[in-house]
Amino acid sequence: MYYRIIRNDMLKSKLITLTTMMFVAVAAMLVSLSAILVVNLSGSINMLMDQAKTPHFMQMHSGDIDAGRLADFAEQNSHVDEFQVLEFLNVDGARIVIDGNSLADSVQDNGFTTQSEKFDYLLDLDGNVITVSDGEIYIPVSYMKDGTGKVGDTISINGKTLTVAGFLRDSQMNSLLASSKRFLVSENDYAAIKGSGSMEYLIEFRLKDLSEIGAFETDYTSAELEANGPTITYPLFKMLNAISDGLMIAVLLLVSTLIVAITFMCIHFTLLAKIEDDYREIGVMKAIGLRVSDLKKIYLVKYAVIAAAGCMLGFALSFVFRDLLLENIRLYMGESEHASFAFLFGIVGILVVFLAIVAYVNNVLKRFRKISAAQAIRLGTSQGKAAGAKHFRLSRNRLLNTNIFLGVKDVLARKSLYATMLAVLIISTFIIIVPQNLYNTISSKSFITYMGIGSSDMRMDIQQTSHISEKAAEIVKAMERDSSISKYAVLTTKTFKAKAADGSEQGIKIELGDHSILPVQYSEGKAPVAEDEIALSTMNADDLGIKVGDVMTLVIEGKEKDFTVCGVYSDVTNGGKTAKAVFSDESADIMWCVIYAKLSDPSLAEAKTSEYADRFHFAKVSHIDEYVAQTFGSTISSVGKASDTSVAVALMITGLVILLFMKMLVAKDSYSIAVMKSVGFTDSDIAMQYVSRSVFVLMAGMILGTLLANTIGEVLAGAVISSFGAASFQFADHPLSMYPLLLMAGTVLIATMLGTWGAGQIKLAANMKE
Amino acid sequence: MMKIISCENIVKSFSAGNEKHPVLGGVSLEINEGEFISIMGPSGSGKTTLMYAVSGMDSIDSGTVLFDGRNLSALSEKELSDIRRTKMGFVFQQPTLLKNLNILDNIILPAMRDNRKNAARTTEKARALMKKAGIGELEKRDITEVSGGQLQRAGICRAVMSQPKIIFGDEPTGALNSTSAQKIMDMLSEINTEGTAVMLVTHDAKVAARTERIMFMCDGKIVSEMRFKKFNGTGMEDRIEAITAKMREIGI
Ligand SMILES: Nc1ncnc2c1ncn2[C@@H]1O[C@H](COP(=O)(O)OP(=O)(O)O)[C@@H](O)[C@H]1O
Ligand SMILES: [Mg+2]
Repeated sequence: MYYRIIRNDMLKSKLITLTTMMFVAVAAMLVSLSAILVVNLSGSINMLMDQAKTPHFMQMHSGDIDAGRLADFAEQNSHVDEFQVLEFLNVDGARIVIDGNSLADSVQDNGFTTQSEKFDYLLDLDGNVITVSDGEIYIPVSYMKDGTGKVGDTISINGKTLTVAGFLRDSQMNSLLASSKRFLVSENDYAAIKGSGSMEYLIEFRLKDLSEIGAFETDYTSAELEANGPTITYPLFKMLNAISDGLMIAVLLLVSTLIVAITFMCIHFTLLAKIEDDYREIGVMKAIGLRVSDLKKIYLVKYAVIAAAGCMLGFALSFVFRDLLLENIRLYMGESEHASFAFLFGIVGILVVFLAIVAYVNNVLKRFRKISAAQAIRLGTSQGKAAGAKHFRLSRNRLLNTNIFLGVKDVLARKSLYATMLAVLIISTFIIIVPQNLYNTISSKSFITYMGIGSSDMRMDIQQTSHISEKAAEIVKAMERDSSISKYAVLTTKTFKAKAADGSEQGIKIELGDHSILPVQYSEGKAPVAEDEIALSTMNADDLGIKVGDVMTLVIEGKEKDFTVCGVYSDVTNGGKTAKAVFSDESADIMWCVIYAKLSDPSLAEAKTSEYADRFHFAKVSHIDEYVAQTFGSTISSVGKASDTSVAVALMITGLVILLFMKMLVAKDSYSIAVMKSVGFTDSDIAMQYVSRSVFVLMAGMILGTLLANTIGEVLAGAVISSFGAASFQFADHPLSMYPLLLMAGTVLIATMLGTWGAGQIKLAANMKE
Repeated sequence: MMKIISCENIVKSFSAGNEKHPVLGGVSLEINEGEFISIMGPSGSGKTTLMYAVSGMDSIDSGTVLFDGRNLSALSEKELSDIRRTKMGFVFQQPTLLKNLNILDNIILPAMRDNRKNAARTTEKARALMKKAGIGELEKRDITEVSGGQLQRAGICRAVMSQPKIIFGDEPTGALNSTSAQKIMDMLSEINTEGTAVMLVTHDAKVAARTERIMFMCDGKIVSEMRFKKFNGTGMEDRIEAITAKMREIGI
């Protein structure tokens, strides 16, 4: 009997049933996709890092190396399980020619290496350790993605020709955020090209216990071993691998949470409307002593059926999309170690959605108990008179057209009814604006200043070479004479010792130079100006446990010197651990030098970049836009994809909800419409009233949604962004972000018109007999 | 005399399932300007359907309805609305006012649609009408805060705001006690003496006795008709007597 009642009920309200089911399906799909992605991403990363045996601690070093001393250290240190030193032959991009195109424009440090013996293996796309033969070369998988090279291409390195035999996954340097890229060649070929570039060493350790990494780091520093280059630890490798896809998952999770919320609201709304329709009957049932729990069961079963169908549909849909979303993870990181686990998690996600809906419906149905039989029979409705908006009177209205007045008045008088619509519009606005703003912000030019890169047009790196300061001076001289360069800043990085609170010493890389010329964003404090001021990257500040205003001690030329911490900034370059100061120093060796230049006419950047690249072969010259595109490109495009998706999803939701809502409203309002028509209002008058209601709620929703997006949304987006290093953050204003909102307004209008289509054509005669 | 309504041979049926169920079987009827007529007949005889048909509220299967010389079937929805708003007024058994608006706003609603600029004058006019109808103090009340009879009077005020040519009433006193009914009929009579035609559907002989022409309906046809002089407040008993006799004669 239940079956028949439920089936009839669903057939009677096909549109509502279908829409609710669709929402459940989309919610279930997103939740299960997020679950699958999270499991896959973490699984794939773990798998990759397990298979490759990623080092727990790595110190890059350029310059001479004392292998014996390192080996002794490794031997004696109790934390060390395995130790090795790998060579990395850094070759200028211009000397690497793949299929006729050189890598001169690449911002990556491209270099060559041989397969290691103990750990830190380079893997092929099947996850196996590659054995490379003479004459063959394996190139980073990211070069496959961007089409730089394909299997069978020839690569010439400073004249030596090799054939691309395949692609490699590098558990350290896969991510575009890692600035180096390793190419794999055979021992013999490596020996042949050894003279073509500068040598860098990767001093790598695997520890017995990963959790002792902090202690080991201190040991390494205090042993005063080779440290001329960035230090990177296992957790950072992991984070670098996770960022791009992690961000996509974060956005997906955000959207799915909102969709689940909207699904709940839809159910709430339709259920209450249904209860209201059945109000009198429910009252009569109570009055004659029938058990309301039976009726409740019918509703519950009905929604369980809808939820189950929606969840199954959503699960099926998630299969359609998961491959698309997993594509990147699979390419860079390979299959997950627990792919079947992911499947399970997908199902768990869907079960959670299902149970949540049933629990929710059950909760809403508690209202049944509160229905008073007497009131239900007498009034036939749960609503009393129209409360509120009493003082908004037609007789006093001089401003609005009467139809608009009636629309607005209706919204004000029945606020709780329109609350659902308002909430949906707020949420839609929110999920349109936040990802969009996030995208605009991280793709905007000024964003790099949040990431530790000064706002500039051109960047020149001088490293892995001798006489760095002379070379920098040469460039400076050229820039001085160059009228098209409006500003430049020379930042020289040197290593010093920092004294921690407990007296232990730790290496710290400090960029010396004038930091006020092309400043980065300081999340706290300001740039160093005085000789005894220092600014720290957030990672360093956290690590050293130092805040702005604190005093820290550096060891310079063997003497201790106190500095005041004047600012903290975010940095993703050079492993994230940097510092900035202005004092001059002749004692320490220069590790590298970066010159930023701002042009008086930014459109010349391209030309200037190649001009300087031609003139100064020893420097790596990059156009900042290109640098950013290559460093953050895949992250930006992931976020871009996610934001486009959320716009589409938001528009779809808005359209559907408004359509559904309007249909229900028209059905509810048939009496008022009939009255209105009997006194001579036309169909277009009625349509106008509904459009006014929509527009009124739409405007409120957009305003509130925008406010929320710029407050809570900014905080949320900030949390996402800080997960990859930028601490302080503000949305960049972007006029383009109005465009999706206009689309939304259009969608609302169209949905309103479709939903109220023919509202005026109701049978007057039938509806007047209330 | 000018005819406000003149209809010829109206046929209308409703389909219930596959069956066609005739409700009006060829009704012809004319109403003069300023005339006060009523339709009587047993429940289900088609009185309401006829009223909807002659006022253009519902479509008909065949026949013609001329309102003020224009064929209603040939008019667009918009033109029909315009006519309803400017030349017709409706009063139903249950008052049909909007929940969202207070009494005054309900009364001025149709007028405000057309002429917002004259809101002040419109409101003045409505207040005057309400005062005359004895509901002058109720203008700010919600419609749930006044009695049925008062609502009905407010409905009539709304109907006469546009100075229509005719007012249609479908048992406007049907849900009221006799005192309230009396007041409604007084109002309608007064409106009629000012020149507006009134067409009432009723099964109450006391109501019909106030009108000057009574049509008797049975099974979708007009079976009989009787005329009186315009009611001037006297001879009520005789008129009621005559009507009940007539009803007995035709068996309703
Ligand atoms: N919308 C409708 N659908 C089907 N039948 C209807 C409809 N409206 C009225 N009827 C039928 O038409 C007949 C006349 O109804 P009506 O004009 O309301 O009668 P009266 O007003 O004289 O009581 C009745 O038998 C009624 O059942
Ligand atoms: Mg009737």
